[in-house]
Amino acid sequence: MKHLLRTLSLLSLILWTGCGDGDTASGAEAWVWNLPDTVPPPRVPEDNPMSLAKVELGRFLFYDTKLSGNQTQSCGSCHLQELAFTDGLARAEGSTGEIHPRSSMSLANAGYAASLTWANPAVVRLEEQALVPMFGEDPVELGLANMEDELLRRLREDERYPPMFAAAFPNQGDPISLDSITKSIASFQRALTSFNSKHDQGSSALTLSEQRGKALFFGGTTEAGVPDALECFHCHGGFLLSQAVDHDGSEFNQQTFINNGLYNLDSDGSYPEGNEGLFDITNDPADKGKFKPPSLRNVAVTAPYMHDGSIATLEEVVEHYARGGRLIESGPNAGDGFENPNKSAFLNGFEITEQEKQDLIAFLRTLTDEDLLTNPALSDPFAP
Amino acid sequence: MKRLGMVMALGALALGCGDDGNAPAEQQDVALSFAAVVGEEPFVCGDTYENLGANGTPLVLSDFRFYVQDVALKNAAGAWVPVELEENSFQSSGVALLDFEDGCGELGTPELNGIVRGTVPPGDYDGLQFKMGVPFEINHVNSATAPSPLNLTSLFWNWQGGYKFLRIDSGQFSETDWRMHLGSTGCEGDPMAGGVTSCANGNRTEVELDTFDVSANTVVADFAALVEGSAVDQDAAADAGCMSKPVDTDCGPLFANLGLSFGENPGGEQQFFSAE
Repeated sequence: MKHLLRTLSLLSLILWTGCGDGDTASGAEAWVWNLPDTVPPPRVPEDNPMSLAKVELGRFLFYDTKLSGNQTQSCGSCHLQELAFTDGLARAEGSTGEIHPRSSMSLANAGYAASLTWANPAVVRLEEQALVPMFGEDPVELGLANMEDELLRRLREDERYPPMFAAAFPNQGDPISLDSITKSIASFQRALTSFNSKHDQGSSALTLSEQRGKALFFGGTTEAGVPDALECFHCHGGFLLSQAVDHDGSEFNQQTFINNGLYNLDSDGSYPEGNEGLFDITNDPADKGKFKPPSLRNVAVTAPYMHDGSIATLEEVVEHYARGGRLIESGPNAGDGFENPNKSAFLNGFEITEQEKQDLIAFLRTLTDEDLLTNPALSDPFAP
Repeated sequence: MKRLGMVMALGALALGCGDDGNAPAEQQDVALSFAAVVGEEPFVCGDTYENLGANGTPLVLSDFRFYVQDVALKNAAGAWVPVELEENSFQSSGVALLDFEDGCGELGTPELNGIVRGTVPPGDYDGLQFKMGVPFEINHVNSATAPSPLNLTSLFWNWQGGYKFLRIDSGQFSETDWRMHLGSTGCEGDPMAGGVTSCANGNRTEVELDTFDVSANTVVADFAALVEGSAVDQDAAADAGCMSKPVDTDCGPLFANLGLSFGENPGGEQQFFSAE
């Protein structure tokens, strides 16, 4: 009878806590956004409010190799803090050695993306995006497909995690779940805000060269006498330096995908097969080669550039846009991107002097936020 | 023993959040049998099957799973009556997983399921309808919190959100092994809505077996019929086999056999399922 009573009271406890969303911020310290006045907070899903405990748990999970099938990689393996959460590679390498068709994107300000990854209008929540590298099979990234029970077991057996999960998800009977993992990692990613660059201090903080570059970037007239010759800001404008922005106050879907003339394999404007951007999702030939214009914040440390890492340096990026598309003279990808039928109307090419080029790059270098690259609160807790 | 009974009853109560699960008492039970075959032979996980597809290719098959939805039986008046699906580890939210792999492949599970269980109003029924798929309304909700069988990560369809409606693999996951993963494509999302708002290609195979005796017949899914006319030894585009990508021309004959539209082909009668 004693046993029964104990069982009953235990069960009533489970009953009491078992329903409802059980994920309020009670007991957890409140989260405060550290943002300049000019920047709105990101959109936070109602079912995943921010908390310090959750962000800290997310940081540990983000950097923990337990989150790959063979325990060789973590999210942080392809998203290194010192490179603004990119990996310096043209194309990422997954935990099983499979080479991803695309380059690891910077996670700086990931909470502000109108769509996630390079060109997928369907993926709009960081919580769901986290499932792609974890469980994706085509390509394999972290290689966790069918290993969800093993993953939960690994975390339950690590004495660090049960109290951290309990603190981050205070009203849940069994807080170590796939849902709480993706919610924590998403919260950590939302915390990767980056608005403390030299550029954010205003023009008066910039050198004359940087100021000239900024003017060119935002529509200034070149020495050749052409106003808004460079047209950079049409796709890379606003506080994010990307038009494809979403935030707490957004009322409209601002997803943006454009073709910037990297390839032109045939009369349809094809890109190399299997890596054709928005077309891979929509199958509309007019979408061939269309990718999200990424935020240019921290662009100086995120080389190599483009969705496939096919441009190595900022100098070459500027030359690419100056030509208005890339000419590949021979080989399987031969073709003139300038003639791509889907190319954006903003890619007309421009004349630029060597000094103007250096000014523009000097401005792009002011977009680096050293705090993001060095903040211990965002760093790898497992680093020796 | 008494204690165990009480604990189990309470356990059922505790698990019952938001779902009263009480079917009207007058409903009659139905159990629909499904089987997976390769031509004349039963599907056995890990077995080699000869003479498949357009070029008579052998394949070692290592996975064979699919979801069904919108299950209905035809009554004596000729009307289609929805089957109210039971909730169990292979069924939730009106969806059932038919699972013929036993874990012979790395991404499988030992549990098997060849039966869809539910209830219908009393009466005589002589036809069966269902779709292979997961309804749009639940296909794009958070799969990290979905109940079984919608929480199997090897059936997550991550690149578009949703689930793999059909998963058949050969070999052991090298990039050159033939595989077919079917799910919705051409999906669009909206950050305000927090998820997918529509998909251009639902890719749900519709099956109607006009004469089907629930107590005597079995729904047979035939891999040989699925790959009929398909050169499974070749990889003309994109992935080996078919990951449902609209650009993957290898999908053409497979989609045709599933009655699904693909490219110029408008789709038609499915050939994958039959009654036996």
